[in-house]
Amino acid sequence: MPAIKLNNISRDYGLGIFGVQDVSLDIEEGEFMVLLGPSGCGKSTTLRMIAGLEETTSGEISIAGRDVTRLAPRARNVAVVFQSYALYPHMSVRENMRFGMKMRKTPRAEQEARIAQAAEVLGLQAYLDRKPSALSGGQRQRVALGRAIVREPDVFLMDEPLSNLDAKLRGEMRQELVKLHRRVGKTTVFVTHDHVEAMTMGDRICIMRNGRIEQVGPPLEVYARPRNTFVAQFLASPAMNLIPAELTASDGGIALGAGPIAGPLPAREAAAYRAGVGRALQFGLRAEDIATEAKPGTLPFEGSVTAVEALGNENLIAVESGGHRIAARVDRHFLPKLGETVTLHADLAHMHLFDAADGEALVREA
Amino acid sequence: MLRKVVSHVGLILAVVIVLFPILWVLRTSLVPAHDSYSTAILPAVTLDNYRALFADKDFGRNYLNSLIVAGLSVVLTMPLAAMTGYAFARFRTGGRIARFATLASQMLPPVALALPTFMLFRTLGLTNSLLGLTIVYAAINLPFLIWILMGFFESIPEDLEGAAMTDGATRWGAFWRVVLPVAAPGIMAAAVLGFILSWNEFLFALILNGSSTATVPVALASLQTSNGVQISNVAAGVSLAILPLMIAAKFIQKYLVEGLSFGSVK
Ligand SMILES: Nc1ncnc2c1ncn2[C@@H]1O[C@H](COP(=O)(O)OP(=O)(O)OP(=O)(O)O)[C@@H](O)[C@H]1O
Ligand SMILES: [Mg+2]
Repeated sequence: MPAIKLNNISRDYGLGIFGVQDVSLDIEEGEFMVLLGPSGCGKSTTLRMIAGLEETTSGEISIAGRDVTRLAPRARNVAVVFQSYALYPHMSVRENMRFGMKMRKTPRAEQEARIAQAAEVLGLQAYLDRKPSALSGGQRQRVALGRAIVREPDVFLMDEPLSNLDAKLRGEMRQELVKLHRRVGKTTVFVTHDHVEAMTMGDRICIMRNGRIEQVGPPLEVYARPRNTFVAQFLASPAMNLIPAELTASDGGIALGAGPIAGPLPAREAAAYRAGVGRALQFGLRAEDIATEAKPGTLPFEGSVTAVEALGNENLIAVESGGHRIAARVDRHFLPKLGETVTLHADLAHMHLFDAADGEALVREA
Repeated sequence: MLRKVVSHVGLILAVVIVLFPILWVLRTSLVPAHDSYSTAILPAVTLDNYRALFADKDFGRNYLNSLIVAGLSVVLTMPLAAMTGYAFARFRTGGRIARFATLASQMLPPVALALPTFMLFRTLGLTNSLLGLTIVYAAINLPFLIWILMGFFESIPEDLEGAAMTDGATRWGAFWRVVLPVAAPGIMAAAVLGFILSWNEFLFALILNGSSTATVPVALASLQTSNGVQISNVAAGVSLAILPLMIAAKFIQKYLVEGLSFGSVK
């Protein structure tokens, strides 16, 4: 039995505007599920529907096997961490944490014990008697977390809780949250539009676009096998390179023609993509699958350098060739000048092919 | 430096111009009646004018009437205004029409309502009664206060209620335990405003009520008799009438500052 079951849920705002449309998703007990997608894709709406803060116009939601679609938020036993934190400004940190337990008539001694424990885990002991307005962004974020934890809910729902923090703090909190999730082991739905958060935190990620689910799966699996060009491009930065391409059969093998990247496919890829011969395709290759030196299974291509970003640990470069712009993630010692012509090598072992018309990935056979 | 001096002189001048009539009223209330129209600043100081006001004119009664009517009308209006304002801010209750009607009722000249109100209240036996005037003031102030409070509630992030409701509160509980306390400065400011409006109201008080239930503005007007204006008594009455307004202004200042800054609390 899944911890949360979304069965074809929609949020219809009227006049054909949908915040969420026909979303079905099973979230397992104890799972850390990340909802990922661009702004306006319906992540928050989905989360708020699970919490009961947004009306579900069709479909059913069940939590722990119980149909909660028409239940008030307070009857669902979920805790929400809002992007704005939504701390009660007129209450101290302690009162903020106590509020939910008070509403649920948790015994007083138990309340104190849970507050003390959460304060210790989150390093909030020194701030318990302060008002939220006297806290920094990171501290407020932890209070919001603490307020959720002490409730001991069935499910944690978090809407971009890290997006108001600076980069360093965000990195730390990312790890803290993962650690916390391991300790507490509660089902968590975590909304973000940051693909790094999604990759590093999720047991599974659910990628959304325009109110619909595009793909669900473990991060590395989605990364390795994006179902379509949208997922392929969204789940990385720089986005996956896409080049219009075709496959042609040539003396026993298959030849790839994708802008400057042209030549015979290695035997394994040739076998895997036999079905793509003769179709209008898009060839996809991630920036890190472009090498500076030839290896077995790579195809060389030339291009003139149009951008160089030296990040210290690696360099992101972009080359232009035959009207195509190709981004590559290369070793920090490979530092060409702007306008210089360089030879790069496309590693076809990690290539992707998509249908040019609908963007769907070609299934790799074998 | 020079600019600072100049601007300060300018400001002080402005303050004097604004305050002078009030200060002169205060001065007139404190000098003997025969010195009322003299140009001497303080020829003598006496409390006779105040004494006369209370002893001969029953001004204490009027003052009490005003306090009762203005205070009770606020107590009556605020809960209604808070709940309606909240409903307008958060739900589609009544649609645009209800919002517009609320505002539109403020655009009617009060005179247009005075006569029908008088006829109605006479039938109901509510003329010459403090309760009647209280009801009128509550009704007159309600739309205005709804409108103000709607603005305050709209500025409170909805997520706060979302948090309260997932934390286990009902919609009503979220309103009572979270929204109201957070909006308290705004609500207090609105209440003070409502009090001031009722305190100063003249037309309905004049038309509906007789001498035993007259309020301060009506009592002051009645001092302008056919055989002249009893200026020293008027000055004393006006000075006393201003007193609650000054206290109210102090409150409003405090609450409005808090009220305007509470949005910054994340
Ligand atoms: N009251 C409303 N009426 C009409 N459309 C709405 C309403 N509320 C939200 N929407 C639409 O629903 C869609 C989903 O919104 P949602 O807030 O879930 O996006 P999101 O994925 O959380 O985006 P973000 O990353 O910016 O927070 C948006 O396109 C938004 O315009
Ligand atoms: Mg959102």
